[in-house]
Amino acid sequence: MHTNPTRRSQTAKEETGGEDTVSRRPYHQIVARLKKNMPRYLMLGPALLLAALLIVFPVAYAVYLSVSDWSPTGVKDTFVGLSNFERLLQDGLFWNALRVTLTLYFVSLIVETVLGTYLAFLLNREVPGNKIFRALILIPSITAPVAISMMWLLLYDPTLGMANYLLRLAGFTGLEWLGDPGLVVYSLAIVDIWEWTPFMGLIILAGLKDLPADPLEAADIDGATPLQKLWHVYLPLLRPIILVAILLRSVDLLRFFDTIYVMTQGGPVNASTTLNIFAYRQGFQYFDLSYASTAMLALLVVVAIIASCIMILRRRFSYEV
Amino acid sequence: MRVKYPSIIIGVVLAGSMILTGCGGESSPSGSITVLAQHHPWTTAIEPYIPEFEEETGIDVDLQSFSEEQARDKSLVTLQSRSSEFDVFMSLKSREGLLYAQSGFYEPLDEYVDDPELAPESYRFEDFQASPLEGERVEGQLVGLPIIVEGPVIFYRKDLFGEYDIAPPEDIFELVDAARQIQENTGGDVYGVAIRGLNTALPYTFGPFFHNMGIEWLAEDGSPNFDTPESAEAIDLYATLAREYGPPGVVSNSFTQSSALFAQGRAGMEIDSSNELQSVIDPESSSVIDDVGVMPIPPGPGGNHPTVLQWGISTSAFSENKDAAWEFMKWATSPEMQLNLAFDGIASPRASTWEDSEFRETLDEPVKEEWADTLNFVQEEGNPEVAPPGEDQPRIREIVGNAIDNVILGETTAEEAAEEIQRELGNLSGSE
Repeated sequence: MHTNPTRRSQTAKEETGGEDTVSRRPYHQIVARLKKNMPRYLMLGPALLLAALLIVFPVAYAVYLSVSDWSPTGVKDTFVGLSNFERLLQDGLFWNALRVTLTLYFVSLIVETVLGTYLAFLLNREVPGNKIFRALILIPSITAPVAISMMWLLLYDPTLGMANYLLRLAGFTGLEWLGDPGLVVYSLAIVDIWEWTPFMGLIILAGLKDLPADPLEAADIDGATPLQKLWHVYLPLLRPIILVAILLRSVDLLRFFDTIYVMTQGGPVNASTTLNIFAYRQGFQYFDLSYASTAMLALLVVVAIIASCIMILRRRFSYEV
Repeated sequence: MRVKYPSIIIGVVLAGSMILTGCGGESSPSGSITVLAQHHPWTTAIEPYIPEFEEETGIDVDLQSFSEEQARDKSLVTLQSRSSEFDVFMSLKSREGLLYAQSGFYEPLDEYVDDPELAPESYRFEDFQASPLEGERVEGQLVGLPIIVEGPVIFYRKDLFGEYDIAPPEDIFELVDAARQIQENTGGDVYGVAIRGLNTALPYTFGPFFHNMGIEWLAEDGSPNFDTPESAEAIDLYATLAREYGPPGVVSNSFTQSSALFAQGRAGMEIDSSNELQSVIDPESSSVIDDVGVMPIPPGPGGNHPTVLQWGISTSAFSENKDAAWEFMKWATSPEMQLNLAFDGIASPRASTWEDSEFRETLDEPVKEEWADTLNFVQEEGNPEVAPPGEDQPRIREIVGNAIDNVILGETTAEEAAEEIQRELGNLSGSE
């Protein structure tokens, strides 16, 4: 099932060997090759240029800001080296923001993945009206996040909100959903789970519909129980698509901003300050764009690490299938 | 990085437009001006009058209005690139005043108001009330003209005070008694007081507690005044009110939540901006409209020093049409216009408005009259420093708000909070 290591290294050898040959070719051969490939480069050109403008330039500008001393009256002509990074690593608020970001990320992602998978199986059943239901459950994901946040703000109100009303009706005491520093991250995770589980469900549903019939039939013939089928057939087969869904959610979750901005502004006392909120505050409230850029570069690193992990997992599992 | 990208484009575009507009001709009180405003009751109220100004002066006015945060971001980016994109802009001096003034964004106005030709007698500059006008001065220089005033006041339930025979608090410590009696007598159904807990919003209502202890935000040597026993006492009083007699989740509350609670009859008192009058007597959302009373925050051992907050309009230092901009400023803040706006509910920074008999007649209900008297008191006695002064207002307010929130949450004591604020404010001014 695993890839053959010998085959892989052979391919790698061939590739580098190929490059060596190119570099040894006479000049006119390179020109001829360039000419031959010209249409390709021309067609790729605009896309590459656009990518450079949209991705490379902002990142490069952020890097530039992070090593200079920016003030509202313009960048002072000072190169400050890595002092912003040093300050970031010593900043307790930054580490707190990183912790909040990762807590929110893992809690939301795990629940969304489990519920999303469950939802996909539910939606896969052929019952009357399930197409309408599929369209309806997407409503949270396509509604403006600000509107959703305002709605949840009302639901979470400890005195006048529906959430505590229901809790009291069931005989529990009300909670301070957004006012309790220990609870606020989970309250925000609930909002995100409510908003994005259907989206996960629909992606996984698409994968479920494309599954090959043979392994399932084989499992049936072998007399597998539904649970065994789920664990040994469905989930391994669905793994690549679940990982795609996780990747898509991960990037969004790590940049979690609008809901928090509307609902808690990072409070109480920084208990819900994610990296994005932290950087926003530094940049647009304290007017310290250099430090904000530094924090955002740190977020970029976090996103890159997590995305790479998911990609690696995905590659491993797709070989296994 | 994502958030920064648009600002780069705006910067480039503005820089370009600056070069182009730089080719414009000699300025005179004609032509056209652009006014950058916030979505604010003042903007809504003055907009219908603008055609009159255009007709009178021949100056075209392009009024651009954005949400508060957006307008602030836009003004910062525009002024930072020294663009003349707008000529007059709404600005909250207690927040960005020092930063903008030190960056040279405001056109100084002293010369204008001192010039009898530019500010004739009919403009009645001396008619502005002291506190809001003082609030438009930064480091001694007049950088704006006030357009609307507000301040923290107490809205209270007259029916509950009457029914349970609660004496109106005569000093700031009696607030606790009143709040306790309300809560106890109603069996906890009605909270004693709806008060701000949201960190950045908190200093506005905390200010009077601090000042009424007899201390200023800063000591005479310019260092913060949080190392005094009075400051810990003020924090303790505020936090006790919020924790013991405030609504659950009070640390995330600002005026929206407080007014909702008060309007729904769930709070016996609300300490918030005078602007909240409209919310608590709005028949559509309020169930207590007939029982609302308004009073100032009571005095403390150091007297009574309410916070007064004024919005102002300023001329951009980079305006290419400053004469026309001044004409607009003068017209918008004239005694006549302030009176017109007062009929639309805009609290005027001019004494003459409040004395106007026609205006007094519109205060036909006791609650409106009490509101007007309270606001008048706020304007006369008010301290325009909403939070400890300093360039970095958002951070300063966060430091103060977070420390007090920790006391409300029971994580620290008032003394520890005062120490923390003193230390962090000190660090802040040290690093600038």
